[in-house]
Formats: sequence, C-alpha cells, structure tokens
Amino acid sequence: MKTAVVSMTKQGPDAPGGGRGGSILRRTRPSRTGRTSIVDRVALTVAAVMVLTAFIGPLLAPHDPYAVDLGQALRGPSGAHWFGTDANGRDVFSRVLYGARVSLLATVVVIAVATLIGTLIGTLAALGGRIVDEILMRICDIGLSLPAIILALGLAAALGPGLQSAVIALCLTWWPGYARLVRTLVRDVRDAEYVEAARTLGVSTPRLVFRHVLPNSLDTLYVQTTLDVSAVMLVISGLSFVGVGAQVPSAEWGAMIAGAAGNLTNGWWAVVFPGLAIMLTAVSFNLVGDWLRVRNDPTLRGRQS
Amino acid sequence: MKPLLEVRDLRAGFPGPDGPVEILRGVNLDIAAGEKVALVGESGSGKSVTARAVLRLDRDADLGGRVTLDGTDLLTLPERAMRDIRGARIGLVFQDPLASLNPVMTIGWQIMQPLVIRGVRKKEARRRGIDLLERLGVRDAGRRFDDYPHQFSGGMRQRVVIAIAVIAEPALLIADEPTTALDVRVQAQVLTLLRELADERSMSVLLITHDLGIVAGFADRVVVMRHGAPVEEGQVDAIYAEPKHPYTRGLLASVPRIDDDPSRRLTTVDDALDADVPVAGALEGGSR
Amino acid sequence: MTRFLLRRLITSVVVLFGLGVVTFLMSQVLPGDPARAAAGRNATAEQVAAVSARLGLDQPIWEQFPRYLGNLLQGDLGTSVFTQRPVLDDIAEALPSSIELVLAAMLINVVIAVPLGVYAAYRRGRATDVAARLIVLFGAGVPVFWLGLMLQLVFADRLGMLPLTGQLGFGREVPELTGMTSLDALLSGDMAAFGDAVAHLLLPAVTLAAAFIAVVARTVRSSMISVLDSDYITLARATGASERRVVIRHGLRNALVPVSTILGMQLGWMLGSTVLVESVFGRRGIGAYAVNAVLQNDLYAVIGSVLVIGVVFVLANIVVDLVQLWLNPRLRQPARARPAAVTAGEPLEKGAMEGAAL
Repeated sequence: MKTAVVSMTKQGPDAPGGGRGGSILRRTRPSRTGRTSIVDRVALTVAAVMVLTAFIGPLLAPHDPYAVDLGQALRGPSGAHWFGTDANGRDVFSRVLYGARVSLLATVVVIAVATLIGTLIGTLAALGGRIVDEILMRICDIGLSLPAIILALGLAAALGPGLQSAVIALCLTWWPGYARLVRTLVRDVRDAEYVEAARTLGVSTPRLVFRHVLPNSLDTLYVQTTLDVSAVMLVISGLSFVGVGAQVPSAEWGAMIAGAAGNLTNGWWAVVFPGLAIMLTAVSFNLVGDWLRVRNDPTLRGRQS
Repeated sequence: MKPLLEVRDLRAGFPGPDGPVEILRGVNLDIAAGEKVALVGESGSGKSVTARAVLRLDRDADLGGRVTLDGTDLLTLPERAMRDIRGARIGLVFQDPLASLNPVMTIGWQIMQPLVIRGVRKKEARRRGIDLLERLGVRDAGRRFDDYPHQFSGGMRQRVVIAIAVIAEPALLIADEPTTALDVRVQAQVLTLLRELADERSMSVLLITHDLGIVAGFADRVVVMRHGAPVEEGQVDAIYAEPKHPYTRGLLASVPRIDDDPSRRLTTVDDALDADVPVAGALEGGSR
Repeated sequence: MTRFLLRRLITSVVVLFGLGVVTFLMSQVLPGDPARAAAGRNATAEQVAAVSARLGLDQPIWEQFPRYLGNLLQGDLGTSVFTQRPVLDDIAEALPSSIELVLAAMLINVVIAVPLGVYAAYRRGRATDVAARLIVLFGAGVPVFWLGLMLQLVFADRLGMLPLTGQLGFGREVPELTGMTSLDALLSGDMAAFGDAVAHLLLPAVTLAAAFIAVVARTVRSSMISVLDSDYITLARATGASERRVVIRHGLRNALVPVSTILGMQLGWMLGSTVLVESVFGRRGIGAYAVNAVLQNDLYAVIGSVLVIGVVFVLANIVVDLVQLWLNPRLRQPARARPAAVTAGEPLEKGAMEGAAL
C-alpha cells in the first residue's frame, strides 16, 4: 500500500503549524487546486493507452511475440523491428504489446481480490466488536510487518514458480492494507449522523452496511486501488524478474527483462523497452491516482477564500 | 530628546491570492529610551505586524516608510547588520509560550543562543542564563537549565521566553500579547516582572495587546491602532479619562468590569462605533 | 518513556510470533520433504522415516508447532538442501553483505534527500510543490531491478566508470572480518581494496536508494515547512541567528521526527529489495540467497530468509523508536503527563510506500 506517499503532506507531530511564523496570508492562500494540469492530462492519456493496449495490443502486434528467428537475433531498433529483437530474434515491440495484457491483467486480479478480502475483513473488524477487531488487526499487523515482496516470495515458493503463484501470493499479501483502510472508513461512516439516523429508523445492520456505509467508503477505496496499480505491478514484474513469477519465454514485462538482462551490453533495447513500459504504466497510474485523490478530497481542493 | 525608536509612515503589504494586501497603512510611533508604550487594538488591526515589521521578520512582506533605532534606518539595513539588531538591540516575546519554545531543545540551549551566536563562551553564557532565570523567578534555575519546555508550566515557560528576549540586554523589548495565553494570576506576575526588568535595565518596552485592562498599570503611553494605522495616542491617564476617538471609547467600554450587570450583554467595539458618527479616514472593513 | 518502549516491544513480540506462525504454515505447504532434506540426498526410505520421527515430523501440527517455535528461539532454522549446511550459518554469512548494501543505500538516501527537502522547504512555492509531487510519483514507478540494469548499462558498460557486477575486482581479496567487504578492507588497512569495494558498492546502493530519496525529500520538505511556520522559528530569527542557523540548528531536529519513522520503514523495504538488486549486481547477500533458495526449492532456506528479514525489519523499527526518543524529548516523559496531541510514537501507516521498494 502506498498510503504514506499520500499522507506525506500530513504535518509531523512535532511540527506545530499555525504559528505566526510564515506569512500572515499564507494560510488563506489556496494550497492546491483541483484543476487538471497538463501533466495530469498526459498521465490520464498514457494510462488509457496502456489499458487499451491490454485489450487490443495483440491485434496491433506486427509479429508473433513467440516466433523465434535466430537469424534476426539481437538486431537494434529499426523500421522492421521498432524496439529491436531479443537474443532469440523475437520482436520486442510485439512482445511489449502482448505484455500489457499479461501485466495489467495480473495486476488487476491482485488488486480486485485483495480489495475484496480487505473490504470483508475490514468491515468485519469495524462492526464485529472489540475482540474480532483486535484479532483481525493483529493479523493485519503481521501481514504489514514484512516487505510485500518477501512474503510474496515465500508464498510463491510454496505454490511453485509461475505467474499464477505470484498472483495468488500477492492476493494473500496485499489485503491487510485494504482491510485497515476499510476498517477506518467504515468506522468513520458508522459514527456519522446520517447512519445514526438510518439506524434510528430501524434499518437492519447488513442493509446499513451495504446500502449506506460501504458506498460512502468507495471513493477513498478506489483512489487507493489506483495508486496501488503501480506498486502491485512492480512487485509482480520483480517476482517474474527473479524467476518466481512468469517464466522466461513468457511475454510478461518482468520476465522479458530477466530473459534479456544477460545480453544487456549487446542488446540493451530488449531490456530498456519492457522496463519503460512498466515505468510508464506505473507512473501514469500513480499520477492518475494522485489526481483522483486531490479531486476527491475537499480539504485538499483549493478553498476559495 | 530624540526617541530610541522612531517609526514613520510604516507600510506593509503582503502577497495575497488576489494581489498584494496592505496591512499597515502608515504607522507612526515613537518610543523614548526607558519608556513603556502600549500598542492597543483589536486582532487584525495590524499591531502584531507592526512589531514584526520593525524587526523585519516577514520575509515576504513589502515594507515602506522609515523605522529608525538610535538613528539607524532599519528598513534599509543589510540583512547581516539587521541580524545584529535582532536579539541584541531589540528583543521579542510572543503570546503563546509553548509555541514560542522549541520542543526538542533544552531551555538552556535556547536561552544561551543570543549570546552564543555573538561569540560569548558557553560557560559564560550558561552562567548568565542561570542568573537571569533566577532573577525572573524560576526556582532552582541551575538544575532546571537543561530541562525541556514541556517540563515547565505556562507561566514558567513565558519567563523562559522573556529570558531569551532579554539575555543579550536589548534596548527595546517588544512584547506581543505576552500574557494572553496565561491565566489571570500568572498574567499579573509576568507583567510585574516585565516592568521591574524594564526599570532595572532602563529598557524600553513596546507592549502589544488587545486588552486595555492590563495597560493601565504598565505603560506610560498608549497608541490605539485600527485598520493598520494609529487612530489616537496619548498618556495612559489621558486616554482612560478622556478618550477622543470613538474607537478608543469602544475599546474601553468593551473591557468587562467586575461591577457590570451580569445579565447585560457585553459591549462590543461596534456598539460604540455605531453610536458615533463615522470618523473621517476610518477605512473599510479589515482585509484579512 | 518505559511505557512507550514497553508497548512497542509487545507489538514487536506479537509480530515476531505471527511471523513464526506464517513461516510454519509455509513449511507445511511448501514442496519438498524436510525429512528427506535433513537426511540427505542418498538416504534410504528407512533413514528418512527415522529422521522424520526424530524431528517429530510425523506428529500432528499442533505438536509440531511448539517444537518449531522452540527451534526458532534456539536459532535452529534447519538445514539447507542445497548447501547441506545449517540455514542460520548460510544466512549469517550472507547477511553482512546485504546490511552493507542497505546501509550504503540509506547513507546515500539521507545525504541527498535531507538537504534537498530542507532546501525545497526553504524555497517553497507552487513550483517546488509541483516538482516534489512529480518526482515522488515518478520515483515510485520505476522498477528497481530495471533501474539497476540501466545504471549498469550507462555507467559500467558505456562509460566504463564503475564495475559492472561483483563486490571486488578480479584477483583482489580482503580478510573476512565483518563480512562487509568495504569495512573489511578498511579494517585491514588496504585502501586500494577499500576504494575498489566502494566502487562496486556504488551502483547497487544508488539503485536501492533511488526510489526512496524522493519520498524522504518530500517528507522532510513538508515537515520542515510546518516547522518553519512555527513561532519558535520566528523567535529564533528574532534572536539574530542567521538563516542557516535558524533552519539547521533550530528547525532540522524537529523536522526529522516524522522523517525518522519513514527511514526506519524504508530500512526494512530496502532489505526486501535486495532480493531484486543483489541478483542484478551479482552480489552475495540475503536477497540473492532467498531467490536461490526459492529457485532450488530449498524449503528451510526460504523460510529462514523470510524469517530473518522479518526479524531485521522488527529490529529496525525498535531502532527507530530509540532514535525518536532521542529526537523528541516529549516522548521521554511519563505517558500520562504527555499531551494527547503528541503521537510521534505512532507509526505512520505501516507498509506505506511499499511500491517504492521495488
């Protein structure tokens, strides 16, 4: 979870603001507006292109991503092979296009499953009473006490190498962050007045949760999931890179880099382009997530004084 | 005799969201050596900004006019020379003693700073710091010198803040609402202390406050400010006995009195202003 | 103060216990027969059964688990199938090299990020605000292993400035004292080897640090901004202190309190990222060991690595607590006297910025 990137703007505990240092007018000046900057537009476009590529990339690919042609091995970028060819003569551009589907799909599955588990556990913790809450949150603590990649590495090892294992391992690793987030959100909403009012009107608890509480938590949740796309994608490609995720001939970006790393000095393009693809996707989703966050958070939107 | 501090037509603008905002619109103020002057006004009247402008503490403020201390124009002084004025010639005390002290440094370290940066040896600075704290009524000052701010009560903290302000023996002390955050009993103690200290060292004091109730026993002269400019000034007794400006009358009337009828609503400054014909030159509502 | 530490220690113990449970469950699921592993490759079925009985592997899990925990407490992490040595010995050999790498990365991180953040706070404004946001969001999106390869490509291959892989140049050797190559070279007084070791350390350390620098700089910046806005800073200025002194002597320590929490967590994530970085740069270390163990199906070695990294992570958090006690005197007083607003001891969202680690 990348919550801290987001919450970084929180003031430190020992940094009492609101003093009379600084300018007198500083506090009334809008800190950041909810307007969409050029950077945000570019990021939105890139993210959209990446998603589109995941859908139609294979249709656009000029070559078969798995077709070995040793006569064409390690050719640099050219008109025929825009991103060059790898050590087996496979077209890197086509493989990068195919890879979008593999990488994004794996990422989406992880986030969807982790969100689902996290939402269930988080809601349960928020509404299930003290003891349930305590137990579930300690489990989350344990899950969050290890770097995700290490836990996922261990779990993937238990399941045997392969993209599926990596995905399952990450699903099992990633949910505690969401559980915590949802717990906080549900607790906030639970104590809100309109829920109080609904309860007084005799609305049943499950109905309350699904009709009133959860929908109000969704905004924050989907901002978080967008921000997590990059983190999850990086872990998956990392696992593939070390050989625990997608296996080498596969057109998964991390695995492609792993396969080409041995020829870094005489075939840099086969390493550079898949990496750029990961980076562009991850960065654009980060920017989009941050943009959504600012848009959703009324306290961050410029206060028109 | 030439005054110690002479403020002439001081103006201050700050960058705002819609262009610069003028907070001070021509402040005139004289303080003679050893004199205690109170600068009075509502919050937003520009009295704190005046204090900060004299010391040039707001980096983004656009200052105009003239501020002279002992004949030196402070507004045109290079930043380096200005640093020699701050702390050594003019000391500053703020309202909230907790926020005024650095929470992660010992009070001793903070008290010694004005001396240490001027080349006084640590040992000597420490001795003077402890002596001063003792003079200011901090019991067991030697032992408490290395304690942290959170280990002191509000009144004691304000004594520490005063110690920082006066340890380098400035000719002028600017006290910006020094007692507002304190409870009434401690307020009186701190004010008495400030007055004694000023008299002992023949130090001038500029007391900034919104509370006319504390001015009478302290200051020699009062300057009343509103909307970034002084509206009335005079000797304390004269102002109390015969306020000329309706705003001053309003301020005086709004000081709650122990013999007031408790069922009556407290008088506000606006009540007094409403009762009077608007004065020429009274400006539009505060722009902050 | 004692209460603060006590609470943190209890949390650590809970987490460590949980780690034991998780790794135990892993050992139940992981492929590979631990009894066969312990008995050796050429053992007969009877020998394996005997070992299995001796290790208690034929007993139900609720009896195995306490035994497992007991073994862990005694430092018995089992035997590696691959090296045929106790896993703890293997890890003890690999870990110093990883710690060397992580500490070097942390040094680079702090040395670059803190001044950068302070400067950005001092020159605040819309431009630095936007720049800080972009750099952080970009930094969190770069795959660390790919960054390592790119740095190799540019600085080692194309420019030939730095060595490509390894820990020391060919034919060079230093006595094994601490296991940290550069430190060993320094201790043995071999300055040439020291320079060589540092040159080998530089690229991997920069790779590891890169993702974190922006985050730390931004944290320093935002906490410094609120510090610079506080009354005590204005009063520090009013004492006549120079701007430099105001920012560094009066402000920095306050600003570093929240930063220390982040740095502590980053220490753990960096250790996790050695999994990716060490293989790129051909360094020995716990990351490379863990990856090998997974690829070799080396059950106990995998579990041992996960466990040790977890323990180091927990230890790093304890160190952070101690650093905070030093930075923030308010935490040192008894808890009941502490103002409710002071929560510096509370960790930021754990697992935060996980992505930056990869």
